[in-house]
Amino acid sequence: MKKKRQTKYSFPDKDGRFGNFGGKYVSETLITALDQLEEVYSKAKKDKLFQQEVINDLNNFVGRPSPLYFAERWTKKLGGAKIYLKREDLNHTGAHKINNTVGQVLLAKKMGKKRVIAETGAGQHGVATATVAARHGLECIIFMGEEDIERQSLNVYRMKLLGAEVCSVDSGTKTLKDAMNEAMRDWVTNVEDTHYIIGSVAGPHPYPEIVRDFNSIVGKELKLQSKKEFGKYPDIIVACVGGGSNAMGIFHPFIEETKTKLVGVEAGGSGVKTGKHAAPLSDGKVGVLHGMKTYLMQDKDGQILSTHSVSAGLDYPGVGPEHAYLRDIGRVEYQSATDKQALKSFHELTRIEGIMPALETAHALAYVNKIAPSLNKSKVIVINLSGRGDKDMFTVAKEDGLVL
Amino acid sequence: MTRLEKTFKQNKKNKILVTYTVAGDPSLSTSKKILNDLISSGADILEIGVPFSDPMSEGPVIQKAHERALKKNIEFQNILEICNEIRSKNNNVPIVLMGYMNSFLSLGKSLSNKLFKAGVDGIIVVDLPYDESKFFFQNLRKKNIDLIRLISPTTDPKRLKQMLASSSGYLYYVSLKGITGAKLKNFAEVKNKVKSIKKLTNLPVVVGFGIKDAKTAKKMAAFSDGVVVGTKIIDFIEKKSIKKISNFTKLLKKAIN
Repeated sequence: MKKKRQTKYSFPDKDGRFGNFGGKYVSETLITALDQLEEVYSKAKKDKLFQQEVINDLNNFVGRPSPLYFAERWTKKLGGAKIYLKREDLNHTGAHKINNTVGQVLLAKKMGKKRVIAETGAGQHGVATATVAARHGLECIIFMGEEDIERQSLNVYRMKLLGAEVCSVDSGTKTLKDAMNEAMRDWVTNVEDTHYIIGSVAGPHPYPEIVRDFNSIVGKELKLQSKKEFGKYPDIIVACVGGGSNAMGIFHPFIEETKTKLVGVEAGGSGVKTGKHAAPLSDGKVGVLHGMKTYLMQDKDGQILSTHSVSAGLDYPGVGPEHAYLRDIGRVEYQSATDKQALKSFHELTRIEGIMPALETAHALAYVNKIAPSLNKSKVIVINLSGRGDKDMFTVAKEDGLVL
Repeated sequence: MTRLEKTFKQNKKNKILVTYTVAGDPSLSTSKKILNDLISSGADILEIGVPFSDPMSEGPVIQKAHERALKKNIEFQNILEICNEIRSKNNNVPIVLMGYMNSFLSLGKSLSNKLFKAGVDGIIVVDLPYDESKFFFQNLRKKNIDLIRLISPTTDPKRLKQMLASSSGYLYYVSLKGITGAKLKNFAEVKNKVKSIKKLTNLPVVVGFGIKDAKTAKKMAAFSDGVVVGTKIIDFIEKKSIKKISNFTKLLKKAIN
């Protein structure tokens, strides 16, 4: 009976597309590297030894599985649906980002690459990349916007301690998108000995697929844990969406489980109506950037607009192509939360549950804060608690008018 | 016969000088003046850069040119007007717009109409590889506008053959793995690659990326149909020595022939 309800979902297709989205929009020089990555990855997917290597690292290096935690006091306070947190903040290095980098670094080694590069916004992906590079003895360069270096100085120092070189990017808006431009420039120059570890379900094919697959461990674990914990799959799963890797990771194993509602929460900044935000799925147009066709914040001439979010990790004008597709087919609902709402939820979870979330994650919390009270107590919401908030101390203090 | 075909045919014994500047850099009026100077000093084909907020394949010099143009609020409409103005005075020099996918996408379905009306002969879309280009290629063919293909040192022979089947105008061989304005290291490799491409096609092959002086241009032109020079010209604009562009262009033209 259950099978009847399932709809077949198998993306990307052979051209690397999710419906109309995705693809491989890169300069000719990079095509060979993408083809090589695609070939190596499709072999690795079927290679039991490789998969076992990934699982070993996830268990013993990252510390998986991550717990599914019942937020009892917060649930009580909101007085509606039961709220659970999937604790990705407890992973080694403090966020979901490492699920992807432990996998990609093994692919890099399979391809014989000696050098890895990555872009980073909040610094979590940079730290996760620097960490696996240190573990495997690879040279590591991290590209980071000048503005982000300033607001995430703790993570910058962490990357340096791990032996990575952090390159400050001062072009364009000096944030995540410009860091990605610079990483692409480095990659095209050093394509033979370098693997680019993209940190989100974004970029040209096969990256959206690879990053999703490595992060899908989150959703797979949740399937087992939720059955055990409350005897069914969650009624609603909520995750924040910048590029969208933590959301894809928890959503993907549930796409065919249509009884579970999936909600992605974008960065509403000062409010979607003000134009000062980073919510392309709520207020963007289809275009091409960083190798993919997707929803983008852009003007009538296709110039990419500068974004605004209190969280560096969501401050990106595009979104992974699979999210664009899931939005259009209506399988995932996309909402937004403002800076203010996110900050409020940051404080609330910290005080009520003793868990300090990343500002990115706080956007998902803000949405749940809004909907949980009106839902029946039998309903279960699971939030992907994608990262911890230590890195955001300076930003939160500043917002509160304090200098540390 | 298209303007591009004529240009290469009439100059069969001579090598072609292709120049690259960014529309609206350093301002709309000055960029027009520079384009006219380039024509009168011997440029055979004008590649005009469409400024983009995220020019991923450009080195620092051309990145700044894009930023300068965008600061002057250059819109696509202005670029088409520049093309129109050149065309009203000169019906021979081919104009090729070079830019990024998202800019050309913004013209929508009327892409080829708008380009045709402005007198544009071809476009180069840096982040549109052969595999993704079917729609653009077909749309542009309606108005005989060429989608100029970039071929890189990493393009393998099998792929090259597929690309050649849907190429027209000329081929742009990217001399190095890297960004515009990078340092060119291996002449012998470029020479071998260009020769192997020419064995497979009758289309003209021009070489670009990393050509910054007359000496290098001469070397490259010896085994190709022409050269593209961009970064060095834009360097003059950045350093506010626009007057030097004409002489430099004349020097290049002389060196390659």
